[in-house]
Amino acid sequence: MRLSLAAAIYHGRVHRRLGLGPRSRLDMLRNLVTALVRHERIEAPWARADEMRFYAERLIDYGKRGDADEQAMRMADFWLTEKDLIHKLFKLLAPRFQSYSGNYTRLLQIPNRENLDRAKMAVIEYKGNPFPPLIVVHRDNEKTLLNQLLKGYREDILKTRATQVPEEAPASLYTGTAV
Amino acid sequence: MAAVCGRFLEPAVVRGLAQASAARPGARCRYFSSSALLRANSGEPPKFQPPPKPVIIDKSKVVVERRFLSPEFIPPRGRKDPLKYYIERIDMIRRRKVLNIPEFYVGSILSVTTADPYASDKTSRFVGICIQRGGKGLGATFVLRNVIEGQGVEFCYEIYNPRIQEIKVLKLEKRLDDNLMYLRDALPEYSTFDVNMKPVPYSPNDEIPVNQLKVKMKPKPWSKRWERPYFNIQGIHFELPEEIMEEAQKLSQPWIKFDMLREYNTSELEKKIWNEVNEKLKK
Repeated sequence: MRLSLAAAIYHGRVHRRLGLGPRSRLDMLRNLVTALVRHERIEAPWARADEMRFYAERLIDYGKRGDADEQAMRMADFWLTEKDLIHKLFKLLAPRFQSYSGNYTRLLQIPNRENLDRAKMAVIEYKGNPFPPLIVVHRDNEKTLLNQLLKGYREDILKTRATQVPEEAPASLYTGTAV
Repeated sequence: MAAVCGRFLEPAVVRGLAQASAARPGARCRYFSSSALLRANSGEPPKFQPPPKPVIIDKSKVVVERRFLSPEFIPPRGRKDPLKYYIERIDMIRRRKVLNIPEFYVGSILSVTTADPYASDKTSRFVGICIQRGGKGLGATFVLRNVIEGQGVEFCYEIYNPRIQEIKVLKLEKRLDDNLMYLRDALPEYSTFDVNMKPVPYSPNDEIPVNQLKVKMKPKPWSKRWERPYFNIQGIHFELPEEIMEEAQKLSQPWIKFDMLREYNTSELEKKIWNEVNEKLKK
């Protein structure tokens, strides 16, 4: 249950109103879920991605039940409009998430859309996907010994160059910081 | 034996006999025969007392206790504090230790006696078919319906009301639906039940019988449009024309059963509550 959103949709209702009606909402979310299963990382408006998140995770739960289960097969058949993805769900995604108990997706906000509507966009992905990670952790390299020595050397060169009038071609300042 | 002879002997004699047999528990009552005493009191030949019926306990069958958790114990989904339901459960178990609330379903025939201050014997009894079970926690109710002298009567009883003195299940069965409100629009013969009917015996091992009865309705208009797929009623024998049935089918929403947000899986919760309730009831 999303507690923050429930205040916006009054009296604890949990369905957002998307599209032309309940059928349209479900069809739209179905398309998004199919795209997510196919590409494993998609960009979409934040509201649709947030609404879709629950269904994507529940679909993995059904996939974990196995394709011998009648109910699981019917659900997968309804939710995945491209039928080759049913095989992908049961054979690839379900084993990948065996160790997880929940939270199979990651939802991150990205800058607003460039269009006139400036819509709030988000990227949603299944964890463990083959793409490079979205959140890149930058280590602070300034305090490493090598970089401190290089910084000192750079300052020395600038000092000597300031005293000497420029006669020769200037030495390259950026010998490159060691990563 | 003392109770049987009590009708023919004086109480003092009975007490004396009981003391004698209790004082020497090893002694057999070979020299004592009730028939002799009977003959001693009155000159007539003794009336034949049939021996008590033997109780057969069939130990060959494995007794599998049916795990039935009353639906009012299962808390509903929503932003509610589980503490409230926990506290209510404690009170519900306290009440259940005093009053035996049997297992029943919608469609079973019950008889309920409540305390009534204005009745001559201070109790009032009502027999009817359970058409609805509503509410969770202490406010759980069930509605009984019967037709008495041509007038349909419905009573909504709160299960944990302290005025209720006895709930007896006369016939335990299920129907095709969870809600039998359509009996109000059905022919009255489907809601009449004999007030003095004998309880139908059932053993806890058997599966609960599902009554496949399809009810015939009075002519339209009804209180609700029961033919619409929203109600999902299986237990009515519709004799409506085809156009009306097709119109009703247009309002069906076949996508609802695939909407995973509507599913409420209570199996884990039920197990936990079942263990908790059983532990407390045994104490």
